[in-house]
Amino acid sequence: MSPRYTALMASLPPLGRLFEAREPAISRLKLQSRLSLLHPADRHSLDRAIGILSQGLVGDAGAAAVRGDALLLADAQRFFEEVHHPLLRQLVRHRLDLRTTIAALRRRHRGELEPPHDQAWGFGPLLPTIERHWLDPNLGLAGVFPWIGEAAHLLENTDLIGLERLLFGLIWRELDRLALGHNFDFEAVVIYLARWSLVERWSNYDAATAAARFGQLLAAGLGPFRDPLALGLAR
Amino acid sequence: MNDHLSLTVLGWIGIYAPVALGAIGAAVGCTIAGQAAIGAMLEVNSGYGRFVGLSALPSSMSIYGIVVMFILNRSVTPINAGGLFGIGVLAGVTFLVSAVYQGLCCASAIAASKSKPEIFGLALAPAAIVEGFAVFAFVFALVAAGGIPAT
Repeated sequence: MSPRYTALMASLPPLGRLFEAREPAISRLKLQSRLSLLHPADRHSLDRAIGILSQGLVGDAGAAAVRGDALLLADAQRFFEEVHHPLLRQLVRHRLDLRTTIAALRRRHRGELEPPHDQAWGFGPLLPTIERHWLDPNLGLAGVFPWIGEAAHLLENTDLIGLERLLFGLIWRELDRLALGHNFDFEAVVIYLARWSLVERWSNYDAATAAARFGQLLAAGLGPFRDPLALGLAR
Repeated sequence: MNDHLSLTVLGWIGIYAPVALGAIGAAVGCTIAGQAAIGAMLEVNSGYGRFVGLSALPSSMSIYGIVVMFILNRSVTPINAGGLFGIGVLAGVTFLVSAVYQGLCCASAIAASKSKPEIFGLALAPAAIVEGFAVFAFVFALVAAGGIPAT
């Protein structure tokens, strides 16, 4: 335990419960300023983990789609070669297991009758089990992930918000488990950041903002389009 | 001759151990709690004094060590060396460990009460309980020291 992490943890406000906060208890700017207390080596490991953890869990949109699954998986491979911190590895492994499972459910949901053979699509020790039990409703993982039935049901009903909520809850509980015995050390800082990231993402889900963003994307996609009928009327 | 010398050394170690170990523990405990106090000061706009005051709580362990040393302080002979070593070293280890863990309790109390000032008093309870165990060791070290021959 380093005294610098005692000061850092004591300077961070409590985050509260996951789905209750309307905004994170500390702003991104302020948090980044506090993280200057991190040891440079720890900061480097943390940044590598954040690069993977910050990828979306459910949606195809966003950074994950832009970079592609193959890039993300190569990034994860490099992370496990470079970073040896047990908690960071555990966090990234857990997140990749979730992503792989959800990716398999989504592919099956959109009609793929067998796992992809010509591209990298998942990561970790669960991959062979998933591929063997592709058509099993629970992908053969009901014993490992008791929640998988509920996730598959939410996906069938295209309740993506419900699915995201379920996954956020799972990650939050995993963080609760990992946080035991860590109050003022680097592990505590990592767990705080992982929680802050969940709270921030959940509190940013906003229907009005999403509609505005959709409008912007639509306008950008259509370009300088002019409605000929409207022009005809003008004449 | 060698046995006599060894016993004398052990006796002197026993006399000074409570101060040395208590001071080491107090330094570590105060560092832990002090860092937490500094961190909390970044987050709050008032009440700095009580955080700093709380972070000094583990320093009491070095005071207990000084008192035990004064009680044990006497001419060391082969007859009393064993008693001095046993009581002094065990009391010192107790003060050291208590101070470190009390520092952690104080750090948690500071971190918690910066957001909820109303729990400040209650948050002190774990640190006070640790202090209580150290006081047990302190009082009974004094009692046991009464049975050690003066020479």
